[in-house]
Amino acid sequence: MATESSESEEEGKIRGGNDKLIVDEDLREMGKNAAWSVSSCKPGNGVSALRDDNLETYWQSDGLQPHLVNIQFQKKVKLQLVVMYIDFKLDESYTPSKISIRAGDGFHNLKEIKNIELVKPTGWVHISLSGADPRETFVNTFMLQIAVSSNHLNGRDSHIRQIKVYGPRPNPIPCQPFQFTSMEFITYSTVR
Amino acid sequence: MMLENMQVAGGAAGNYLLGLIYRYTGRRHSSVEHFRMVLLLDPLFWEAYEELCMLGVAEEASSVFGEVALQRIQETYLGQTSSFSQRTIVNEFSDSDKTLKDSKLRHNEHFLGNGQQSVTLDSSKQLENSSQTNNSDWNTPSPVPPQVPDVAPPQLRKNLRAPAGEKMVPERLYPETRPRRSARIAARRKINMSQSSGSDADCLHASSSESNSATSLSSMIEKCRIESSKEGFCSRPVATSNHTATTSGQTISGTGNSVDDEENSRLTGFESGPSSIIFGISEVLNLLRLLGECHRHLLMYNCEDALFAYEKLSEKQYNTQWVLSQVGKAYFQLQDYFKADSVFLLAHQMYPYALEGMDIYSTVLYHLKEEMRLGYLAQELLSIDRLAPESWCALGNCYSLQKDHEAALKIFHRAIRLNQRFAYAHTLCGHEFAALEEYGDAERCYRKALDVDERHYNAWHGLGMIYLRQEKFEFAQHHFQRALRINPRSSVIMCYNGIALHESKRSDEALETLDQASISDSRNPLPIYYKANVLVGLGKYEEAAKVLEELKDCVPHESSVHGLLGKIYVHMKLYDKAVFHFGIALDLNPSAIDAVHIKACMERLIAPEELEDYI
Repeated sequence: MATESSESEEEGKIRGGNDKLIVDEDLREMGKNAAWSVSSCKPGNGVSALRDDNLETYWQSDGLQPHLVNIQFQKKVKLQLVVMYIDFKLDESYTPSKISIRAGDGFHNLKEIKNIELVKPTGWVHISLSGADPRETFVNTFMLQIAVSSNHLNGRDSHIRQIKVYGPRPNPIPCQPFQFTSMEFITYSTVR
Repeated sequence: MMLENMQVAGGAAGNYLLGLIYRYTGRRHSSVEHFRMVLLLDPLFWEAYEELCMLGVAEEASSVFGEVALQRIQETYLGQTSSFSQRTIVNEFSDSDKTLKDSKLRHNEHFLGNGQQSVTLDSSKQLENSSQTNNSDWNTPSPVPPQVPDVAPPQLRKNLRAPAGEKMVPERLYPETRPRRSARIAARRKINMSQSSGSDADCLHASSSESNSATSLSSMIEKCRIESSKEGFCSRPVATSNHTATTSGQTISGTGNSVDDEENSRLTGFESGPSSIIFGISEVLNLLRLLGECHRHLLMYNCEDALFAYEKLSEKQYNTQWVLSQVGKAYFQLQDYFKADSVFLLAHQMYPYALEGMDIYSTVLYHLKEEMRLGYLAQELLSIDRLAPESWCALGNCYSLQKDHEAALKIFHRAIRLNQRFAYAHTLCGHEFAALEEYGDAERCYRKALDVDERHYNAWHGLGMIYLRQEKFEFAQHHFQRALRINPRSSVIMCYNGIALHESKRSDEALETLDQASISDSRNPLPIYYKANVLVGLGKYEEAAKVLEELKDCVPHESSVHGLLGKIYVHMKLYDKAVFHFGIALDLNPSAIDAVHIKACMERLIAPEELEDYI
């Protein structure tokens, strides 16, 4: 199970990881509507390996640190969770160690919203984007950037096998301020 | 095309085929003309009446199956013996053609690209076979006394598919069984009962209900012993009940059998004669009239009238799969999912192998969020018939309920591949694409559904929803209007129409529509909620608050009502009440986004100056 030690407010350490990807029912994957790009890659291990639902393929960077994965949306979206598949046992010195997540409108005004350190991760690592304040459960942004600033064993390049980005499900009924919770309302809310 | 100038070959059946062709190619006017001609030529042609209902232009059943029809059938049956053989051949031709077409069209359209072409070719080939077999069986003397059919003719057609799995394979692989079945059904219609008994025996093996076959076989043997003095008499009306018991396989279970024996014993000494024929005809017409009226009401979406009419049927008729599934559909259209569930459950338990209407049942279970029962139903249906689109629709609904939209999509595509003309599968596909927010594909699917059946109001509604999400409010409103023209009683569509009108800045019309919606279905709480929303949009906070205060007593567990009330009180600067309602809203488990929103509102209340900026 992923654990976080609360040594400081800004830095959390995540150990281990899950084998299976288990995400809350009320979240949905938002990566399909985004444009994905990376700062550098080795030929054959490009950005498509991050989105192919195949844990055997991985993205390998090929430049100077920090290695960046950029996720750009066409409109402002609410994001809640980032999940990455990283495995120390398979990748050893290629395994990312310090990851910083930034958000903003574009490359010019990204601001760091989360900074974590991984300690020998072995599977799906959940990184929640929520702040402490209940008002900050979601990050409302055009762009997300995942920056790998250092690796385990001081490796130069990184491997990441899969990245998924989650946000809340939208209101199934358009143009309404709130979502419905009771059976009576939901029953009469759609025609199937 | 002027029908007066054109004599269609095959009489009623030929016209029916033409009507179908015109309908499938979108020439509605001609298809209606031809279906009407069918009913003129042969008033017992139920399928044509059904098609007219589906096109939305059926006349009242009492006029179609009324006095004129009675006269016409009497003429046909009590016609001179000299014209007997000629007419029998013609009639068998038309009947077998029709039944062949039924089964063919249902199963083979998706196999054959130009279905209509091949049907005519195949059926003409088969007709030669059938007439040969008919002729060979001609002289077998085993007349059946004329009886009142207690089973509605419609079930016969349905039952061509009913005992799905094992029966479907023989149909396709052994086409020679079809002429015999058609001959059996021809005899159901009239004339020479002798063929029927011969073919019955042949087809008995195909019937999956063993008890029925056993009973019918014995009653058949009993009848063979009865010599009819008028064996060549052409005017045997319609079906004998044992006959229909065989053909209808499953649908006439226990009750059907007991009726057989009763009627057989009662009518053993029955003298065939014109009076009995007239009696038979009028009984048939009565039944058809009742069923026709119900069906017409259902397809015009006057569901309450339809339900009322169905109540008038005798208990035996009511407890048959076809009628029960129609009743279930009526409840479904009225959004009364609990009653629909119980009716469909009864239908399914009584006739587990009949798949018609089970796709609607799966949607009912979807609305009731019964995951386990839906999963079980889907598994059951698939094990009965893997090649029926209804089974796959049920499975797709199951996946969709678990929010696995991609899997559901794949499954609905399979259903479509099995039967391109199954409009509901297209609509469900559209719903899944819409859930995945792929609006282009969703639109395509809905339009395909509308190609197949223009009166499929679910597809119109689906299109409206897409445009609503894309904020093309005028388009949305137009499509909701079309849906309402077809089904004027649906309060849900009226609500959405209201929402679309409000967003297009026609708020007065919106309020009117929402009022109509709440009148049309008093159990639906949503029109009142939407009305409050519209009033908030117009700035009429007091009215909105009043409306919602009433509503919250009707639906105490709905967090959105309290959330909206809170926001209204904030606008009205009644901050205590606002906080109170926000608190209740949070207690009622709102969704994550709403929870955040409400909490944010509450926090702002502590600092009122910031309120105007936020809300």
